Amino acid sequence: MSETSSPEPVADVCLLLEGTWPHVRGGVSSWVDQLIRGLPELSFSVCFLGGRRDDYGSPHYPMPANVVHYRECFLESAWQSEPPPTAGRGRDVERDLRILSQFLHAPEEPSAEQGEALLDVLAAGSLGLADVLYSRASWSVIRESYLRHCSDPSFVNYFWSLRIMQAPLLMFGELARRLPRARLIHSVSTGYAGLLGSILQRRWRCAYLLTEHGIYTKERKIDLAQAGWIAERPDDALSTALDAELGYIRRLWIRFFERIGLLTYRSADPIISLYEGNRRRQVQDGADSARTRVIPNGIRLEAWADALARRPRGIPPVVGLVGRVVPIKDVKTFIRAMRGVVSAMPEVQGWIVGPEEEDPAYAAECRNLVVSLGLQEQVRFLGYQKLGDVLPRLGLMVLTSISEAQPLVILEAWAAGTPVISSDVGSCREMIEGGSAEDRDLGSAGDVVAIADPQATARAILQLLRNPTRWQAAQAVGLERVGRYYGEALMLERYRRLYRDAMEGARWPA
Amino acid sequence: MAGIGFQLRRILSEDTYTATLRAYFYAGLIGSGPWVLSIVSVMLIGVFSLGERMPAQHVRQFLVTVTYLMAVSLIVTGGLQLFFTRFVSDRLFERQHGRVVPNLLGILLLVSVVSAVLALLALGLLFDQPFAYRLLVLANFVVLCNLWLVIIFLSGMKAYNRILAVMLVGYALMVLSAYLLRFLQMEGLLLALLIGHASLLFIFLRDILREYPADRLLAFDFLDRRQTFVSLLATGFCYNLGIWVDKFIFWFNPHTSSAVIGPLRASIFYDLPIFLAYLSIIPGMAVFLVRIETDFAEWYERVYAAIRGGETLQRIGRLKEEMTLSIRQGLLEICKVQGLTVVLLVLLAPRLLEWLGISSYHLPLFYVDLVGVSVQVVFMALLNVFFYLDKRATVLKLCLLFVVLNGALTVFSQRLGPVFFGYGFTLSLLVCVLVGLQLLSSALEDLEYETFMLGR
Repeated sequence: MSETSSPEPVADVCLLLEGTWPHVRGGVSSWVDQLIRGLPELSFSVCFLGGRRDDYGSPHYPMPANVVHYRECFLESAWQSEPPPTAGRGRDVERDLRILSQFLHAPEEPSAEQGEALLDVLAAGSLGLADVLYSRASWSVIRESYLRHCSDPSFVNYFWSLRIMQAPLLMFGELARRLPRARLIHSVSTGYAGLLGSILQRRWRCAYLLTEHGIYTKERKIDLAQAGWIAERPDDALSTALDAELGYIRRLWIRFFERIGLLTYRSADPIISLYEGNRRRQVQDGADSARTRVIPNGIRLEAWADALARRPRGIPPVVGLVGRVVPIKDVKTFIRAMRGVVSAMPEVQGWIVGPEEEDPAYAAECRNLVVSLGLQEQVRFLGYQKLGDVLPRLGLMVLTSISEAQPLVILEAWAAGTPVISSDVGSCREMIEGGSAEDRDLGSAGDVVAIADPQATARAILQLLRNPTRWQAAQAVGLERVGRYYGEALMLERYRRLYRDAMEGARWPA
Repeated sequence: MAGIGFQLRRILSEDTYTATLRAYFYAGLIGSGPWVLSIVSVMLIGVFSLGERMPAQHVRQFLVTVTYLMAVSLIVTGGLQLFFTRFVSDRLFERQHGRVVPNLLGILLLVSVVSAVLALLALGLLFDQPFAYRLLVLANFVVLCNLWLVIIFLSGMKAYNRILAVMLVGYALMVLSAYLLRFLQMEGLLLALLIGHASLLFIFLRDILREYPADRLLAFDFLDRRQTFVSLLATGFCYNLGIWVDKFIFWFNPHTSSAVIGPLRASIFYDLPIFLAYLSIIPGMAVFLVRIETDFAEWYERVYAAIRGGETLQRIGRLKEEMTLSIRQGLLEICKVQGLTVVLLVLLAPRLLEWLGISSYHLPLFYVDLVGVSVQVVFMALLNVFFYLDKRATVLKLCLLFVVLNGALTVFSQRLGPVFFGYGFTLSLLVCVLVGLQLLSSALEDLEYETFMLGR
């Protein structure tokens, strides 16, 4: 293996980010920002992976001082950068290509050895982009795999799908040979970033941490199911509609992401998720259960002390939904629930706190619903508000989302002394009712209801608002729970310890 | 030969014997082109001028002058013919019909100027013939150079009856003028040649101008390298040089030639058999065009439609096999028809030559040339298939091989003695065809690999 990257580490942590910080705003990005700034004693080398350069503007986050190295790499350049001619020594292009193809595209689940072999090929750089794109060996491997596995769809689609999948892998192999060395690798998703991490680990022989906020492979499956760019033959598309079976090319893509995810799960240790549900999902997708662990997000508790202090005595008769007015938040269920609440307690107000620009049509539908239910007096759209001002004025915060991971807003509501009623999605039940046995003993910090169930939601709201004892208990549990398990300091401490163990602990077995 | 396939398929679609016969006749006419007809006409002129007040020496000078005019004009414009054919097909493919005529006029202007300068230099420096002779040679040269570029449009024209009529009128006019002007001696014959070719040139040009309306008069887009393939210039040049190089070697070897007029030399026993032999390729050319431009072209289109249309690899492979089969059948049929023609001509040759008043001394060379020109038809068919597959580099290599081999083997045959004359030409073509078949075989083998992996 040639050592083109410097042998002496330039940074403690090599952070691999796909489509997030510093270019894209969002939960993952603010978590990354929190992590880097929260651990100023460590130095970071950040590698950002994106699709097309033009899709990303200037960075949204200023570069912290402890980021000593920053690099961007875009998938589109997989086609432009011709890797330098690779060493001829012992090069068996056809064997390498067969390994690549078997692991990524064959229907059979690949063995651990096959994964190792693939990483060896990518790390050593024995395969060049030209080999994949133009060589006769590549042609015969593609031809063979097509004839063996795929007789139904069009060859040209199969051919180009394979090329588009394979080319970036070689670019990442190349990138791995150039990135400056760090003491440990930390990828914030599987996918391409995770793959790059696996290759890097192969070269550096150091610890490799993986943190997944969502489940990358699952998200890709959702994207692919909706992707219009996949050319499929009409009969294929028809079969998708008829028996809910995906077309071959879609399956090929899903398999590709599953396989590179598997490669990451097999390389990384520990494999961290935000909550238990996602941890189980990772295990189901091939992660070794012994390597997995949960580290929830944390918020800065001190920042909310002021909001808590400003909370008036008693239960404000206000129920708030905090979130963008978009279908995924299912604002309509909140409005319908408000109908039930107002019928029983006419003095209660329902506030919808969040911007409406993202989906104006949906926002208009919500406003119409308010009118048709006769709730103009009770339900108000407040637009974007500073949470520190709004939360103390809420008696309850309600989340009706149909999909969430681990919503920070629940933690923030608790820190501001607001009990939370949430639909049973993502980690919400785990948060509100408690995850570990010790956590569960604290009690419930609100209530959990089924998704899209306005009656149940209304009942839960009324029960809390009408029962000051329960409400106070829930408030106390929320404060206690966020303080004990979801503090930023705790999260940072956990990562600090993981990093330290990884750097000091036994070197990765060579 | 863009467009001829469409015309041939249209005729063949009538599916009657007369339609088939008409298709082959049309293909023979277009394929063998005006230059076979030119040979016939010029020979006719030579035959009837002989003995009537004109000394044999003058007739011979006329024939040799015409031969040089043909050879040099074809070699000079050979590259441009291919180059411009491709340029026009690409523009038609892009549906930019309006750019055809301005560029045709542009290239004709360029060709006229360059050919006139070349002719002026050659005639001024190398000839001391009378001014009238030199002027007529110059005019004929410029007209021929233009004509060779104009006739590349013939295959695309729809009115093949009209093409036939124009050719008849043009060559009849040439022969008739020669008959009427023969009192002016050689100058009269050259003037007749000019009248014939010029009338062809201008009538065809008029038809083209009508077929492709344009809003500009002149354009030189063909000089833009992004829209053209420069390698075609070399290919066309080499191909035409290859065809003539053995003749030049014979003309300029003092042992096999004699001076005829000015610096022009000729080799009577080498030239006559080959020109006669060229008349025999008409059936082969007809078959070549019909098979390659209809059967092969159809399968070719299906193969590429299957590739673009997202068919399975298996189906693409099956279609490719059909396409390969159509090439094989096409070549086989050319061989059959041309073989039959050769056999017939070999049997009839002694009496034919006797009837034409040509010495039987020419017979052995005539036989060798008959085989040679027949192989040349196969060679042309192969090159055409390569052009379809867009293997320009292969065509260039084959044409280069042809020039080198024909030159080298011809020189070698001259050393071996008169019994071996003509073998250089025939053998070089044979080798080129064999090499070409081998290359074609591997090109077809690699068709999917090259199409998909290399994007060719």
